[in-house]
Amino acid sequence: MGLIEFAAAKALASSAVFLFITLLMMAAAKRISTCIILFSTQSAIMAAEILALAYAGKSAEAYAVAALVIVVKVVAIPYALFRIVKDLKASQDVASSTTGAQSVFIMAGLILLSFHVVVPYAKTLRLDEDLLAAAVALLLAGAFLMVSRKKALMQVIGLLVLENGIFLAALTTTYGMPLVIEIGIFFDLLMGVFLMGLFVFRIRDTFEHLDVSKLRRLRG
Amino acid sequence: MTLLLLLLVPFCAALIVLTCKEPERAVRVAIAAGTLQMVAIANAVWRIRSAGVVQFGRYLRADGLTAFFLLNIAVILALVLVYSIGYLRHIPAGRFSSPRWFYSLTFLFTFTMIAVYLSASLGMLWICVESTTLASALLVGFYNTKGAVEAGWKYLVVCTVGIAFALFGTIALYLAAVKSGVNPASALDWSVLMNAAPGLAATRDLVKLSFVFVAVGYGTKIGFVPMHSWLPDAHAEAPTPISAMLSAALLNCALYALLRFDTITSHAIGSAFSHTLLLIFGCLSITVAALLMVVQRDLKRLLAYSSIEHMGIVALGIGIGGPLGILGALLHTFNHSIAKSLMFFTAGSVRESFGTLRMRRIHGMARSVPFTSAGLVVGALAIAGMPPFALFISEFMILTAAFTASRYFIAILLLLVLSVVFGALLHHVQRMLAGKRTEEPARLKPLPSQFAVMGICTTYLIVFGICIPRVFANLLQRALVVLQ
Amino acid sequence: MNLALDVIQALLLVAIAPLVRGVVARVKARIQNRRGASVWRPYADLLKLFRKQDLVPETASGLFRLAPVILFAVTVTAAAFIPVLHPSALFGAGGDFILLVYLLAIGRFFLMLGAMDGGSSFGGMGASREALVSALAEAPLLLALVSVAILAHTVTMSGIVLSTVRQNPLHLSAVYGFALGAMILVAIAETGRIPVDNPATHLELTMIHEAMVLEYSGPSLALIEWANAVKLALIMAMLVGVFAPWGMATSTSIAALVLAPLAFVFKLAVLAVAIAVIESSMAKLRMYLVPDFLGMASALAILAVAFTALMR
Repeated sequence: MGLIEFAAAKALASSAVFLFITLLMMAAAKRISTCIILFSTQSAIMAAEILALAYAGKSAEAYAVAALVIVVKVVAIPYALFRIVKDLKASQDVASSTTGAQSVFIMAGLILLSFHVVVPYAKTLRLDEDLLAAAVALLLAGAFLMVSRKKALMQVIGLLVLENGIFLAALTTTYGMPLVIEIGIFFDLLMGVFLMGLFVFRIRDTFEHLDVSKLRRLRG
Repeated sequence: MTLLLLLLVPFCAALIVLTCKEPERAVRVAIAAGTLQMVAIANAVWRIRSAGVVQFGRYLRADGLTAFFLLNIAVILALVLVYSIGYLRHIPAGRFSSPRWFYSLTFLFTFTMIAVYLSASLGMLWICVESTTLASALLVGFYNTKGAVEAGWKYLVVCTVGIAFALFGTIALYLAAVKSGVNPASALDWSVLMNAAPGLAATRDLVKLSFVFVAVGYGTKIGFVPMHSWLPDAHAEAPTPISAMLSAALLNCALYALLRFDTITSHAIGSAFSHTLLLIFGCLSITVAALLMVVQRDLKRLLAYSSIEHMGIVALGIGIGGPLGILGALLHTFNHSIAKSLMFFTAGSVRESFGTLRMRRIHGMARSVPFTSAGLVVGALAIAGMPPFALFISEFMILTAAFTASRYFIAILLLLVLSVVFGALLHHVQRMLAGKRTEEPARLKPLPSQFAVMGICTTYLIVFGICIPRVFANLLQRALVVLQ
Repeated sequence: MNLALDVIQALLLVAIAPLVRGVVARVKARIQNRRGASVWRPYADLLKLFRKQDLVPETASGLFRLAPVILFAVTVTAAAFIPVLHPSALFGAGGDFILLVYLLAIGRFFLMLGAMDGGSSFGGMGASREALVSALAEAPLLLALVSVAILAHTVTMSGIVLSTVRQNPLHLSAVYGFALGAMILVAIAETGRIPVDNPATHLELTMIHEAMVLEYSGPSLALIEWANAVKLALIMAMLVGVFAPWGMATSTSIAALVLAPLAFVFKLAVLAVAIAVIESSMAKLRMYLVPDFLGMASALAILAVAFTALMR
């Protein structure tokens, strides 16, 4: 099946670039729904990678992990986030503290920084430096999104991007951890998103807004 | 089987309590479950003492260190359950805010913490520490006021980010192990890693990287200083029994996770790197916490910063190393949990009597509420490290270890910080005790159960400050052996 | 043979430029549920304008009538730099992409001067806005072209297109992706399309290019409109040539020579539809947001240049 092999090889080779593109688009996005869709796309790209690795290594565990990623990160969590956005009936504006161009510049800078950090390690560890750089970039981008976006839901999305980065790092370096651990991690993630959603509703009810930069009553 | 029982009891209790519609019934079920849990833990500790290491299946394992911390959580759970019987009358009505939810979430929280202690594999450890954050987030935001919701959100987000970094560190260690030839299917098991540790020296950089991320990650949950921003808010806004549990049990839980990583790292590349990092975090924590304690206005926030300071002292103890330092650190975790619980219980009584925790607004405690004041004085002296209370012994051990290891800078810094802390506590407490009694009559008289609990804590502090019972010392020794 | 092809492709670009504008306008109308004018309408407009009289304001100098001529001349010259049918161009060997960019800049410069010379306030306002947009668009344009030039190890447009044609389309480097992103944003700014400028508006708040040509009439206006159309076709051909040139005639066989114009027309059609879709689905940005838009283009272009060193 030459086509599948070709697709698998292509998925592994260029997924890093696609991940960078999703990061840049997330930096420029102005609405929360766009960010949720981009997160779903990122998870789908990672699922494609896992499938390619599973096909290459012929391991059933990897197929199971890919299925888990698709069910939890591509479908369940974005669906939950969309429901929260709809039920909140709040404005979809991202409320960023940096303008679009500044965010894209910072994101480009983070991507270059992640390459700079990864290149010395990749040689000694004989790893694919593109994917590892993509993992570190996802981590830094998640942190940047959490810090620069003032809406509570955007902080949740930033956290999800950060965890995506860590997951990708695990994927590139060790081809995944034991299956039970992976399942536990996904379950924790799902519960975490659920709890954060609950808290977002509480914030809206007690504070009447969703701007976390205004949550500054407790200081000192 | 004993280990499985330890996990089943709180989990089932959490579910059963949820079905009790009347508050009294919920309280009774909770007390019964708590008693059952005590018995289970005592049984487990006894089994571990006789067998050395107890294993159940692939994922549950208990050794000397586990036994020590299990005893810790048993005592705290008992104290908190008894205290909360009376305290629950303060909970405002609302969604998720009835006694059955309170006890259910508390037992769920206990379940996750015990699961942390019983984890055999570092991956399980991570999952359980993350679940403690999730389980306690709703407890922190229990009162549903503005402050509580803000504190709960900050706690959830900051701790989840921190623990995500710890996951990165865990993965790095897994990678190092796999590269050194350990079988990938079991490369996350702690005992396997301990055996393979000398072989990990080949991937030094990776092990160092892993420890840095783990220290930052789990350090966020312990409350080390650059990552501590969630701690004062969460501990101040949570209900008092939960604050006690957070300060006394949860910080120790995260410390346990860090200790497991520290032993592997020390066996692999020597303890210089990891201990230096712990010393840095420790020094930062005690300095910043002590300075901030001086300017606090809220009693529970003051206690939260004190927790940060004491965890810093524990980090110093481990960082200095050697049997005396580590012994002092372990003893300090236990003593601190009892003393901090005492202080939080006292704070709860203060709130009941005066309606507020703002220290500026509280005057004349000594005349209006003598027993509570006594508790406050005892607790304040205890957490300042005065003899004859138990914390003096553990801090003295750490100081001795510092001088023996020629870490003069650490020792002098510690002494300075302790003086600052003493001054701050004295200042705040004295202002609350002295003066004319306030015009408001006492709002609510604290219940005898609360006094009983405070009395137990005081007794412990005095007794253990004078002489440590042989049984306890044995337990401590076995825990120390695991860490060597 | 090659020389004949070069001349033919340059004339082709100039000749079909109004048709391209017509197609874009027609597709846009269809998307917006209107019937739209015929695709040949711009030719009719040009013919009408050439037959009318050229009205010049009293306060204008000779520059007013000179500017459209210079603009047209320069734009047609620039069109001769772009490979269309085969990977070489009429002026390909004599100049590089920097010369191309600055030829377009000369044209724009003279248009701005002519607009200010006209003496109306609209002219001055349009000129200042155009200056802002073009100043910010120049950096990403040059950087994006630099990044693909680094990969091609050459500076001429034809050399760049030649090196892209030789590569396997499925294994393109990431540099092309980022450079394409930057170039699309710049193309929107340079050709004066929504979201940067609305080519069909005459409201003071929203017009940039239209404000500059408000005073022109007759053959001068015809030259300006034609030059604008040639610029649009030129930039589209540049995008096609640099990023998707497969289908160009790399040999002189009959099959290749028949395939080349068909492929070119197909790709232009795709781009025209894309422009129409983008114009119909976005709102025009307010003037203070345009620097932000172009800042994103700059960031992408810088990333493209940085990636020439990173990913091989």
